[in-house]
Amino acid sequence: MIKFRLGKDEKEVLDYSNLTFFRKLASKIRDPRTKFDVKEFAKRGDDYLFNYVNKNVGSVDEKRRKFLKSLVFGIAAAAVVGIIPGVRVLVPPTITSVSGFPKSLLVDSSGNPIKASSLPVNSPVILLFEYPMTGEPNFLLNLGDSKGNPVEIPPTTVTIPQTGKTYQFPGGVGPNKSIVAYSAICQHLGCTPPYIHFYPPQYVSPAQLTASEPDQLSAEALLAAKQNHVPALIHCDCHGSTYDPYKGAAVLTGPTVRPLPAVLLEWDSTTDYLYAIGAIGVATYPNGANGVPSNDPTDDLSNSYGSPVGDKTTASGTENPFSS
Amino acid sequence: MGVSEWFKERLGLDDLPFFRTPDYMYKVEYWLGALVAGSFIYTVISGLILLLYYNPEAGYSSTETLIQEVPYGSVVLYSHLYGAYAMIILAYVHMFRNYFDGAYKKPRELLWILGVLMLVLTLGTAFLGYSLIGDALATSAVDVGEGIITSIPSLSFLIPILFGNYDAGDYGRVLAWHIILVALIGVLFMLHFFMAEHYGMMPSKKEKNKAPAVYTKEEWQKFNPWWPRNFVYMTSLVFMTWGFILLIPNALAYLNGLPQELNPFLNPKPAPPPNSPAAAHITTYPPWFFLFLYKIADFTSDVVVFLLIGVIIPLIYLLLVPFIDRSPYLDLKKRRLFTAFGILMITYLIQTTIWGDLTPGVEIPVYQQVIVYLPPAVITLAGVFLIPTSRKAVASPYGTLGFLVASLLFSGSLVTLVVSPSALTATVFALFAVLFLLAARSLTPVAIKVEKQSQQPEPQPVVSESPRNLEVKKRLAEVLISLLFIMSVVLAAQLWTIPATGYASNMFGVDLGLIFVMLGEAISLYHYVVYRK
Ligand code: FES
Repeated sequence: MIKFRLGKDEKEVLDYSNLTFFRKLASKIRDPRTKFDVKEFAKRGDDYLFNYVNKNVGSVDEKRRKFLKSLVFGIAAAAVVGIIPGVRVLVPPTITSVSGFPKSLLVDSSGNPIKASSLPVNSPVILLFEYPMTGEPNFLLNLGDSKGNPVEIPPTTVTIPQTGKTYQFPGGVGPNKSIVAYSAICQHLGCTPPYIHFYPPQYVSPAQLTASEPDQLSAEALLAAKQNHVPALIHCDCHGSTYDPYKGAAVLTGPTVRPLPAVLLEWDSTTDYLYAIGAIGVATYPNGANGVPSNDPTDDLSNSYGSPVGDKTTASGTENPFSS
Repeated sequence: MGVSEWFKERLGLDDLPFFRTPDYMYKVEYWLGALVAGSFIYTVISGLILLLYYNPEAGYSSTETLIQEVPYGSVVLYSHLYGAYAMIILAYVHMFRNYFDGAYKKPRELLWILGVLMLVLTLGTAFLGYSLIGDALATSAVDVGEGIITSIPSLSFLIPILFGNYDAGDYGRVLAWHIILVALIGVLFMLHFFMAEHYGMMPSKKEKNKAPAVYTKEEWQKFNPWWPRNFVYMTSLVFMTWGFILLIPNALAYLNGLPQELNPFLNPKPAPPPNSPAAAHITTYPPWFFLFLYKIADFTSDVVVFLLIGVIIPLIYLLLVPFIDRSPYLDLKKRRLFTAFGILMITYLIQTTIWGDLTPGVEIPVYQQVIVYLPPAVITLAGVFLIPTSRKAVASPYGTLGFLVASLLFSGSLVTLVVSPSALTATVFALFAVLFLLAARSLTPVAIKVEKQSQQPEPQPVVSESPRNLEVKKRLAEVLISLLFIMSVVLAAQLWTIPATGYASNMFGVDLGLIFVMLGEAISLYHYVVYRK
């Protein structure tokens, strides 16, 4: 700052940057290339001068300014380069365009095919596999009688109480025709295991009336089991829906108004392998419009959420709800 | 002719009817509107991306798919949420600043009214957007909303109009309204923007202390033209806003198990779906910007009263204030009553929001309401009216703010003490009482000193920085820009390695947000070096 010492009081006359500014301005005005038009100036006064200054006299020298500008543009370029992979947000995840159900080999968690004859009978452990889409769990059950011997599950006709329509459940597969698979998503409001699970015969007893969630059985469910001579049940603890695993997961007690859809299984007797090949009944919860599950099992396939499981699906389960 | 010149000529940037800006206005508080607009634009862009994926017939599951399977879907979704949050907060800040500046006065009355309407639309849009997720929180928020409407029987025809078949899981109408309201905001914004450019930014009170506070054509011509300085400054602010909008929620996504009280503010993730067993175990809360309404609903069971206190009276007041406060004075101490109202509105808004967060749905007896709401009113009114009328008698904005916060904490802790007396609450109360006294005392010297000062002649002109000092700072800024450049290149390279989905994908938002912040900072430093005199 340029100051004049006037006794004690310092008074600023001109600050340094203004001085350089004036010098620059003066040299610009003298420079014929920038065409300072004196006549215009006389006519328009301040206005003209301000425009002229804006146009011709910067406050920082050009080189330095250019360098900084290129750095800023460099950062902007880095931002653009960084955004490029993000453009993938526009690419939808593989859209499911399966025309039919896949045929999927059931394998265990280490990738080895599951042998039908080694599936434990009436196991309380919740054994689940995803099918036909990821995120859609199904129970794999080897059903037995109350003594634990595998029982043959015959084909039956299942009624959908909601519509009164029926469909044919093909029965069990495997060496004893005792293996079945059902969707593990409750058709009432969509509860999933462990809230909905299989109750082996030893747990279909009044003792479960007072058990804690998720192993409780309602009195209604017990009564229905007794009246229909069903040794084991699939029961949902959320609101008490009960399904009959021996009869295609038909409805035993509400509030559900639809049976659990069944996964169609195929057993290869030479290798003892199990395959999931399709589904029957209603669509897996909640597919269909307006949150009401659909009656058509293939609705599942036109749904763009989730992707098909492919030719192998892992059946695994370690959770025994009764042991906790 | 440089590139910048070329654009300037081709686009006619010199002839834009945009406000020219005096040097002293290159401070963020003069640009709050630009920040709101920046977050609005961000939210619109991210919303359009979300629109590509959202399915109103499967609100929850398409949201989940978006988060889990769409590349960088969660980055976009969470930042959309926080873009809206930023817009709401900044809109409040923008509004209250203009309130205290008296910017609603002649000739900006319409500008102010448009702004208030936009705030209402913004809150409405945010509520609808929140409902689109269809999680347990959204459905309960819609339930509450529907409950409020149906309890005035003559209004219940609105429910199908607004929500359609929401309860059956069809969110089509909510989505449509969400978009329609945004479009409306966009239209009002254009009006608001061009009017703001027409009248110019609200000048400092030192320059114009009476309405109409506008610069004359001659004064105006001497200011900096819009291009390039304003453009540069604005870009820096917009990028910083965008950076934080991206950075914060994506970083927060890595925080788990927040205490319940913080969830409404800090948790960007959806709650479980309403039909899941897990939904039974969560405490439902409304979005934080409606916590205050939620709390007012606990004060009274009469919905008409509720709407009057919570919505209608404050809204009408804000809409009419340009016509109530008609004096030409902008100075706070010449508008004491309005100053007090403004402070009280902020205090009550914050107080009730926090209260709603701490005791959601707990009914509050009248005596407790009085205990909570009376002290701030008394303190504020007394404070505002006791300040002497001399020049510059009102304390600095920071002093007022500090006082405000202190009185807020003070009365809040008093209530806590009364409601649940214990050693802890007593200690907290004592602490805040001391703080409050200190803040109150710190205001007094300001008032006294000012009186003394006013007897002196003109105050000293502000000493500007010595050129050498400025030069050093500018050098430093240059070094910083270079550093930012290097860092941004490193981060940009890192962005390419981040997986598009899954746990790590939110790092994309964090990194990109950082780059934006650095870009904004670099532009701001550039502005400093090139334009600062
Ligand atoms: S969800 Fe299973 S009974 Fe309601």
